[in-house]
Amino acid sequence: MFVCGYHFPASEGNDVSFEKVIEKVKEGIDAAGKTVTLTSETREGVKLETIEVPEGTFLHTALVDYFTNTECKEINGAKMMYYTNKYQISEISKSVDGDATKAVCRKLDDMNLYRVKVA
Amino acid sequence: MSALRQIAFYGKGGIGKSTTSQNTLAAMCHYYGQKILIVGCDPKADSTRLILHEKAQCTIMQLASEAGTVEDLELEDVCKPGAGEFHPDNNDITEGYINCTESGGPEPGVGCAGRGVITAINFLEEEGAYTDELDFVSYDVLGDVVCGGFAMPIREGKAQEIYIVMSGEMMAMYAANNISKGILKYANTGGVRLAGLICNARMTDKEYDLSKHLAMQIGTQLIHFVPRSNHVQRAELRRMTVVEFSPSHDQAMEYKELARKIIANDLKVIPTPLEMDDLENLLMEFGLEEEADLENVGKKAEEA
Repeated sequence: MFVCGYHFPASEGNDVSFEKVIEKVKEGIDAAGKTVTLTSETREGVKLETIEVPEGTFLHTALVDYFTNTECKEINGAKMMYYTNKYQISEISKSVDGDATKAVCRKLDDMNLYRVKVA
Repeated sequence: MSALRQIAFYGKGGIGKSTTSQNTLAAMCHYYGQKILIVGCDPKADSTRLILHEKAQCTIMQLASEAGTVEDLELEDVCKPGAGEFHPDNNDITEGYINCTESGGPEPGVGCAGRGVITAINFLEEEGAYTDELDFVSYDVLGDVVCGGFAMPIREGKAQEIYIVMSGEMMAMYAANNISKGILKYANTGGVRLAGLICNARMTDKEYDLSKHLAMQIGTQLIHFVPRSNHVQRAELRRMTVVEFSPSHDQAMEYKELARKIIANDLKVIPTPLEMDDLENLLMEFGLEEEADLENVGKKAEEA
């Protein structure tokens, strides 16, 4: 199955643990010192807000990983987030980051489109 | 060359199967160079129009009726190459291509629609449409599987991996569960497997959570959540997929990602469908339906 864009072989079933996903996401990613910003917009393209993601959280690392490894065209320095990935990343972050990302994750669970920028 | 994979898109009528399947298959061809044959199994014959840039393709049943019998047809009569970049001779954008055929069916209200599916698949097999060069054959199948004809691609083991297009709405989930029952029925004899749910989102509350949990409970995965986009309709007005119309658009990227996952997918399971009560419990768990006490059943909102 696929979680956060990664393929987990069928032998691992249809319920891959968060630990395994986190391990995969962190593999080869050095997110330290990077600034991660998310911008949200409606489906009609109306810009809503810009959010800075707290460093040291899984959410921060996962977004650096997404920006680095996702084959998705970069426009104005940002990559659109696949809806599937934003929901999956949010679900894991809510579980492991607690209050540090609670507010951001609540936003990520909505129906808006998010773009991620890493500097 | 890899072995031919026979996949099928099933789902409730009106859920967006044909749009989803054509955009996904277009992405498999455009971005990943896959060689594909589409077998439309819907009497509406709209499973190939975006690939062919046509209103509707002449169906095998239509052509057979004009020619006398299906034996009077040649493969070239019924199998058309895709338009533009999907044409086998056009290698400008991709080495891949898409060939298209539609089974068709009787006039509305007359005869058995599933008969067209059976006739079409048998004809295509006998005429050698499933060449060694193909990477995928894709069946786009109408609605539910209560009709034996529409179940034919899974009953006869033609389609090995089934993708169910659904949304977070009750009836779409009900249909997805019902299709899983059909797959389960033929899984041991025909080798068919459920390969995943595709949520063609209606953008209702908690739609991802609902879809994901339904997928998990029936033993499969939510392979991709496709957001709703007006760009799909804009492309359709030009009889094109978003992938061809606007290949860098956000929505085309979503189909690209789904295409990548389908190509790499190895999670093919015998499903474990839910009982109706469990399905309703799922909706309650995610807050779309309040716990319905028996005493409230049938009462209006203001009464309950």
